[in-house]
Amino acid sequence: MTETNRGERFLTMTKSQLLELEREEKTSAQKRWDVAVSLLPVLCCAAALLEYGCVPNKYPNASPQRYAALLILAGGIWLLLWVWAIMRYRRGDKVRFRTLRHHAPFYAVLFLLLAAFDYLTLKTGRLLYPFIPWLNDIINAAAADWKSLLVSTLFSLRLLFLGYFSGAASGLVTGIACGYSSRVRYWVHPLIKVLGPIPPVTWVPLVMLLAASLFGGSVFIIALGTWFSVSVAAMTGIASVDRAYYDAARTLGASERQIVLHVAIPHAVPNILQGMTQGMSSACISLMIAEMLGVEAGLGWYITWAKSWAMYNRMFAAIIVICMVFNAVTKGLDLIKKRVLRYQSEVVQ
Amino acid sequence: MPKTLVLKLEGVFKSFARVETDDVTNAVADVNLSMRNGEFISLVGTSGCGKSTILRMIAGLISPTAGRLTINGVPIEGPGPERGFVFQKPALFPWLTVEKNISFGLRMSGHTAENGERLARIIHLVGLEDFKNDYPGQLSGGMAQRAALARSLINQPDILLLDEPLGALDAFTRMNIQDELLSIWQKKKQLMIMVTHDVDEAVYMGTRVLVMEAHPGRIRTELPIEMEYPRNRSSALFVEYRNRILEMLHYGTKER
Repeated sequence: MTETNRGERFLTMTKSQLLELEREEKTSAQKRWDVAVSLLPVLCCAAALLEYGCVPNKYPNASPQRYAALLILAGGIWLLLWVWAIMRYRRGDKVRFRTLRHHAPFYAVLFLLLAAFDYLTLKTGRLLYPFIPWLNDIINAAAADWKSLLVSTLFSLRLLFLGYFSGAASGLVTGIACGYSSRVRYWVHPLIKVLGPIPPVTWVPLVMLLAASLFGGSVFIIALGTWFSVSVAAMTGIASVDRAYYDAARTLGASERQIVLHVAIPHAVPNILQGMTQGMSSACISLMIAEMLGVEAGLGWYITWAKSWAMYNRMFAAIIVICMVFNAVTKGLDLIKKRVLRYQSEVVQ
Repeated sequence: MPKTLVLKLEGVFKSFARVETDDVTNAVADVNLSMRNGEFISLVGTSGCGKSTILRMIAGLISPTAGRLTINGVPIEGPGPERGFVFQKPALFPWLTVEKNISFGLRMSGHTAENGERLARIIHLVGLEDFKNDYPGQLSGGMAQRAALARSLINQPDILLLDEPLGALDAFTRMNIQDELLSIWQKKKQLMIMVTHDVDEAVYMGTRVLVMEAHPGRIRTELPIEMEYPRNRSSALFVEYRNRILEMLHYGTKER
């Protein structure tokens, strides 16, 4: 190949090829080290299994295969991902392996922590049973009572989404109205200013007293916090629109209504999404408190109920479910945010 | 032939209230002008002489303190799509793709029948076919200003108001867009009114150069440029026009 021909290929590179080219070549020792590190989680998973199976138990452990199966499943998934990443690597796609390698130490330590936790609870009782149960015990509790857990989860989700979406919708309306019309702002802004800083749960006793139903009252309390975050965010977003955008829209023939719909609101979308994220965390807090204080259903209620019957393993099971549910909801919101705001990420640096 | 259009400013004053003191700034004082379609008006003057204020009044973004602005005898009330405006900053909507930005005016007026064809023609005119699905944040300054120009042209305005649209661009891009603007104007014979700091640009493009003086903002001289297009920037006549305008601007500041 001539010199110019070899140069030509740089003109038709993809982004990943360019990044690959600019990265330093690794030595074979480094590569071997990377492979070893990427397999560490499997090794630590095996160690956790050995610890679980070989060290004698201090307490009787029913259905021991459940936790073991979970460990094997987790280790197996890692191994499958590893095989897949290696295959991609051989075909020239090094990104997957690099991601795997990046996360490997974290998951390895996680497996070791699981082993340590098992040792401190089931094996030695250093952490006092029944207040802190071992993982297999929690799994057993969840398996025994999965129906109530599921119903509680669905109930919590219903309350959360009803409150969250009614709060977000009314927040949007007040925020946009306040942001755009100074007359609305004159009347509504003081209300937001006074009510805003009060944590929504402050109203719980009053709502329990006044609301026709506890459910309706809880929806109101969850909505309140979301309403506040979203309306403040929407208001700031709309108030901060550069005048140049309004001028441009007006000279392009947009009516006042079209300016609100096509300029003010889209401009405020990043702020609104920020407010919705904040509103979600406030809604989750309100949900738990409402359920623990009054509503006789849902995961919050399940926790207090299990605790009052001294069924700590069920309590932990519910906490784990809450953790998973709230994480999933936040992650979902994050994905929506990334998708809607993709125009911001595509800005040339 | 396009129908005749006459834009008249009669005894136009515009004063702004100052923020700190009780004074007012007299941005524009007693401006009388008459312009018609087929003209390319260059407005030059030192900064703060009210050039942009005149443009914004014609656009209907602000109203005069006193006086009348009329188009074919009808007073200007508020902005309208028949008067396009290109700002110094492109002010493209960052959440819309280039194509959606350009078609904004069409969507606002609810034109749907001829949309696709007209849109494609305008995008071709400004050479942005390869970038129509990009977001404005990905464009260079010159491309962004081309997109902003296309966005105003899509409404087929009778009057195009250009507020230093090329001021922030590098010299080569500026000269390219100057020629593009001239060829658009030569085809459609709209009334173009361009504010600029650049005397060269004013002489290169304008059929008439209005030289303004500041405090208060007045039209000092109207200077018709009697040269054929395309103009040669180094010809003796061009240089003479440029020097005359530069002299006037210098004199205008000394008098203050």
